[in-house]
Amino acid sequence: MAIINQATKELQVKIVYYGPAMGGKTTNLVQVHDHVQTAAGNKGKLVSLATSSDRTLFFDFLPIEAMTIKGFKTKFQLYTVPGQVIYNTTRQLVLRGVDGIVFVADSQYEKMPENVESFQNLMDNLNALKINLTEIPYVLQYNKRDLPNAAPMEYLEFLLNNRDVQVPSFGGTAHKCEGVFESLNMITRLLLQKFINQSVPQYA
Amino acid sequence: MATLPQLIEEDIQRLDEALRDFLTQTDATVALLIDKGGFLLTHQGDPGELDLTTIGALSSGAFLASQTIAGLVNEKNFNYTSQQGEHASLFTVNVDEHCLLVVIFPSKSGMGVVRYYSTGAVSRIAQQLAAARERDPEGGLDLSELNVADPQELFRKKPA
Repeated sequence: MAIINQATKELQVKIVYYGPAMGGKTTNLVQVHDHVQTAAGNKGKLVSLATSSDRTLFFDFLPIEAMTIKGFKTKFQLYTVPGQVIYNTTRQLVLRGVDGIVFVADSQYEKMPENVESFQNLMDNLNALKINLTEIPYVLQYNKRDLPNAAPMEYLEFLLNNRDVQVPSFGGTAHKCEGVFESLNMITRLLLQKFINQSVPQYA
Repeated sequence: MATLPQLIEEDIQRLDEALRDFLTQTDATVALLIDKGGFLLTHQGDPGELDLTTIGALSSGAFLASQTIAGLVNEKNFNYTSQQGEHASLFTVNVDEHCLLVVIFPSKSGMGVVRYYSTGAVSRIAQQLAAARERDPEGGLDLSELNVADPQELFRKKPA
């Protein structure tokens, strides 16, 4: 849950990038890290706990400061989860304290079962933390739109964005930084909107 | 999901006091109070060049992984983790359901001292958190002036 630190005048928010293996979650963080426009010192190091073959083992982590709201610094902590099925326990750990989610789907036709399975896995893991998906702001990013075997956006919407309330979704080509900032800005807006409507979280 | 109690500035002052006293007792370098979600709540000591935000996030992940292993071996009492290095060491101990105390100290100080005095510090911190939990604070941060309809006000991409 987001934390407001009255003593240091900071608002801290946790966003988790979720999705199937090799879908582009880490690439999203790398692109944000490489391209975000921030004042000096407002962007932390991108920390990757990865295997020797660059697959995420535990999580990637990028702390970043975005703006000041009425004197409060807003600090975002961006995490990815490991996409591989065997690392489900790790995904549960990373989801602890989550405020918002960017679900990064792989647009390739043959990846549809993995997209659906990963989304179901997200709901299961949120349930294990006693969180309902409807309580958490999230956006969908349909990545790898540049590949020739990418399914139509409408098809991905039909598969993944078919709940009572449809959420914002974006096409993306993360390695070219397309759709990356659009997704991040939208989840941030949804989060701040939620805080305004709820007159906010906890204090520290 | 259960969350942290609502803390106000007075809580932070008391928590900082407990951390300062602990540092005096142990000669540790830095003591961090972190939320298990990875947020740094407060810290005392001189961090120098240390990146406390990242240390907090990684410590939380490592501790929770250790707790999960405890569950797998049917052990309920993995209350702390420690790493002893040549120059610097790290000690992480459970405070309550939501928080952890992370201590960075010179290896020559010895883990035993840190572990011994951490009991008192953890107790004081947990008491303050419990007191905060019983309180019902008022007010909140007014975000209404933020124009969330304008995404340009949020993260900006560097021009190519």
